[in-house]
Amino acid sequence: MSLFWIVIRQLAEIEAMAMSKKVITREEWEKKLNDVKIRKEDMNKLVMNFLVTEGYVDAAEKFRMESGTEPDIDLATITDRMAVKKAVQCGNVEDAIEKVNDLNPEILDTNPQLFFHLQQQRLIELIRNGKVEEALEFAQEELAPRGEENQSFLEELERTVALLAFEDVSNCPVGDLLDISQRLKTASEVNAAILTSQSHEKDPKLPSLLKMLLWAQNQLDEKAAYPRINDLATATLEDPAI
Amino acid sequence: MPTTTASAVCTTVGNNILLRLTSGERDVKLKALRELKNQIIGNRTKKLSFLKLGAVPAVAGILSDAVSAVDVADNDENDRIVKDIIVQSAAVLGSFACGFEAGVRAVLDAGADILIQRGCLVEEMPLLKSYMEVVDAGARSLKMIYQSKMAPKYDFLQEENMEFLLSLLNNESENVSGLGASIISHSCKTSLEQKLLFDAGVLKRLTSLLGGSLIQRDASLESIATIFKNNPEVVSQFVGPDTGRTLSCIIEIVKDRFARTRLLASLCLIVIRNASPCYLQDVGIKTKLINNLLELLDDPGRVGDEASFAFSSLIAEKEDMQKLAFEVNGVDKLYNHLQKGSLHPRRFEGILLALADMCSKLECCRSRCLSLQVLKLVVDALAHDSSDVRSAACMCLRSVSRSIKNLSAGSFMNETIVIPLVRLLDDTSTAVQVAALGAISNIVVDFTTRRSTFIRLGGVKLLVQLSKSMDSTIRLNALRALRNLIFLAEDKCKEEIFMELTASLLASLICDPEPSVQEQALALVRNLVDGRINSVEYIFAEDGIILDAVGRQLRIASKAEIEIQGMYVLGNVATGKESHKEAVMDQLLLRAENKAQSCIIKFLQSNDSRLRTAAVWAVLNLTCSSSPGSSGRLVKLHDAGIVSHVKNMVNDPCLDVKLRVKTALEQFNSFDDSLASTSCLQFLTVRAVGELSHVVDPSSKEEESIANYFRFSMKKNKKKKSTRTVKFCFDVPADSL
Repeated sequence: MSLFWIVIRQLAEIEAMAMSKKVITREEWEKKLNDVKIRKEDMNKLVMNFLVTEGYVDAAEKFRMESGTEPDIDLATITDRMAVKKAVQCGNVEDAIEKVNDLNPEILDTNPQLFFHLQQQRLIELIRNGKVEEALEFAQEELAPRGEENQSFLEELERTVALLAFEDVSNCPVGDLLDISQRLKTASEVNAAILTSQSHEKDPKLPSLLKMLLWAQNQLDEKAAYPRINDLATATLEDPAI
Repeated sequence: MPTTTASAVCTTVGNNILLRLTSGERDVKLKALRELKNQIIGNRTKKLSFLKLGAVPAVAGILSDAVSAVDVADNDENDRIVKDIIVQSAAVLGSFACGFEAGVRAVLDAGADILIQRGCLVEEMPLLKSYMEVVDAGARSLKMIYQSKMAPKYDFLQEENMEFLLSLLNNESENVSGLGASIISHSCKTSLEQKLLFDAGVLKRLTSLLGGSLIQRDASLESIATIFKNNPEVVSQFVGPDTGRTLSCIIEIVKDRFARTRLLASLCLIVIRNASPCYLQDVGIKTKLINNLLELLDDPGRVGDEASFAFSSLIAEKEDMQKLAFEVNGVDKLYNHLQKGSLHPRRFEGILLALADMCSKLECCRSRCLSLQVLKLVVDALAHDSSDVRSAACMCLRSVSRSIKNLSAGSFMNETIVIPLVRLLDDTSTAVQVAALGAISNIVVDFTTRRSTFIRLGGVKLLVQLSKSMDSTIRLNALRALRNLIFLAEDKCKEEIFMELTASLLASLICDPEPSVQEQALALVRNLVDGRINSVEYIFAEDGIILDAVGRQLRIASKAEIEIQGMYVLGNVATGKESHKEAVMDQLLLRAENKAQSCIIKFLQSNDSRLRTAAVWAVLNLTCSSSPGSSGRLVKLHDAGIVSHVKNMVNDPCLDVKLRVKTALEQFNSFDDSLASTSCLQFLTVRAVGELSHVVDPSSKEEESIANYFRFSMKKNKKKKSTRTVKFCFDVPADSL
């Protein structure tokens, strides 16, 4: 072999050693996992928190009965909140507004952005149902003044009114406004505002935990090869790739 | 036209609702109330139009009727409707008052606040079940009203009011206790009220509310801050085991998840800190507060806007805090926010003021600002629509231009800065004019003699015009700017300024009704007559009215600062020709009415060492050995008893005075000596005194460097001069205005 080859192989060997990460086998990993203690009560609380924040009243009630975990807010208030969320998801925005105002008249009065988005959703529903004249009137009477008060509202308003300009609404640039996802977005916003007014966290803890897991795995990837959870839904450990 | 149609529809709907409100049937009324409520919540335009239709008095009437109907409610069904009517009408009135000043006014005019209080909060409702809804609705609405400045002042001094307030605070419902806290935040203004509330023990309840819901926490934080604000006495009584608990509780809340709560907690701590010399002084809490506020700037909403104002209140006038803030890159962070562009005016103003505070005392902050090119953004802000922003930009400039290093490099005296600043001298807002004058006062202290730029751009005309203003603050600041402008100015420059000013204006300003204006006018004259001998001539213009005015003021003045400036004027004039010196003698020997001796004797005996120094300078210059008439003057001074007074000061405690007296005595002795040497004492010292915004330390490096600079520049001037003093002055801190 030529000296050249020897040098190259040496270099490769040195590089491999420098970059070699610690390898952890599945047995080692599972052993470490088993050593970590998690309390059942904590997990129950997390589940309850998720059910309550997302508004699954019946599930929360049943879970409370079966596990003995106390929810951190009054389940009765969840019902009211869910009624609002549902109304928005079905496109009954006017009904939703009335319900919010019954629940707490301060919310919409002190939350101009939320109020604007609800009004915007009303407009979208009118357009979706083909009530063009009514939509125009509504835009002028209710939404235009909001647009005057705030520049960003004006831009969103213009986008919404643009829906009226297109023949084929499903394929136009602002067509996404007619999606169900827009309703869900608005519903989520209302839900969050109500939760905040009740001094409750607007996001459940579970997603944060999962994000933390993914982040921690990414950090560890730089230092070791170990069994990873790649599919959050199944949470199965996948062997390290060597 | 579309708009007409829209408003016509609105009016029709509106009238319809109002009509139904007047119906005799409770069901119809209730329905109409709910509709009205849903129309106006969140909708400012609708509130306005319903206001015009007279909705508020109508609803107030309904509420009043319903409350009276409570007692006669006879069955469950009626109970419910009456209760609902009360809840809905309270909600309507509360919504009208929410963030809508015209609405608040209408609600107050209709007496609705008293109605709600009486109807919802005071009486027990024996016949109505589930009255918590009513109480909550009433509390919410009253809270809205009390968030407005127009709300009636709550009279804490009345015992029954105090009891009511305490009952509100102690209530379980978060809306009701929140209302109690809101009332405190809104109405507690005087230190007497603060003490009353403190003595009534509200703090204990407020502390427990800190552990409650979001509403209770926020309201409580605001109230606690209100009770302690600017009241060292109340803070000093805040001792004992409770204090530690409350403080640590609030410190925890600084890390709360809600931005507004974090801001309120920080503000609360800042208030306590500023009112007390002992609480919250350790480095840990200082750093925590600074970092917290800088982070809150990131919030896009109102919280972010207000965070910069809180930051200012934390660091203003406190060098240690400014240093800490600098070490955590405060200047850079503020600059990053400035850079974002199209800022809400309130936010813009806040950040500019925060930068102004950062740079008010520390050179490192100013250097950092300049290296980051902050000036460009600040100069743009000078032309902003909002007068508050313009004013803040001027203050920022004022702070940054305290940097002597950059002043001497001429960084500020260029057209991009001077032109917009000069334009602001004509601003519609007085506050902006005053702020601009503050910035100009510093910028014109230009050591590279490029002040012609300023003059060329019409700055002098405007300054002189402003010195004639009706507003004494403007006169004062305009004079200060002129005084700094004239400082060490070239002859030609001085001439231009003097021609614009005129002797008669100067003389009248020396006799201005405001003492602080007199002081600046005299300081201006002092700088005016410094320099070549020709400069002294100015004081004799128009038959010497200026000199007469100076003399007159010296005789009647009682404020040390005025006397000091006046004496330095005379001292400077006394370095001139013989005729000049004689004129000064005349002024000095002139006696005020009812006074047995010359005013200078009073000055020589003053407790203020600066005044004694100034007086001795004058005597020194009058008896300078090189002048032919000095011996004659010495005789006159001796006859007036002045010489003996000077001799008595040989052991003066102040070094400055002592040295001058020593020199003076040597001069006196040189006349006695028949073999007087012809050596003259010629001092080419120009003592430059800078009054920077921090305490002037005569040994400070900055002072020395200024003085050295001038000694150097004066040496180049070959004229033989006796001692002179000139004075320039950076903007004086606000409290001495």
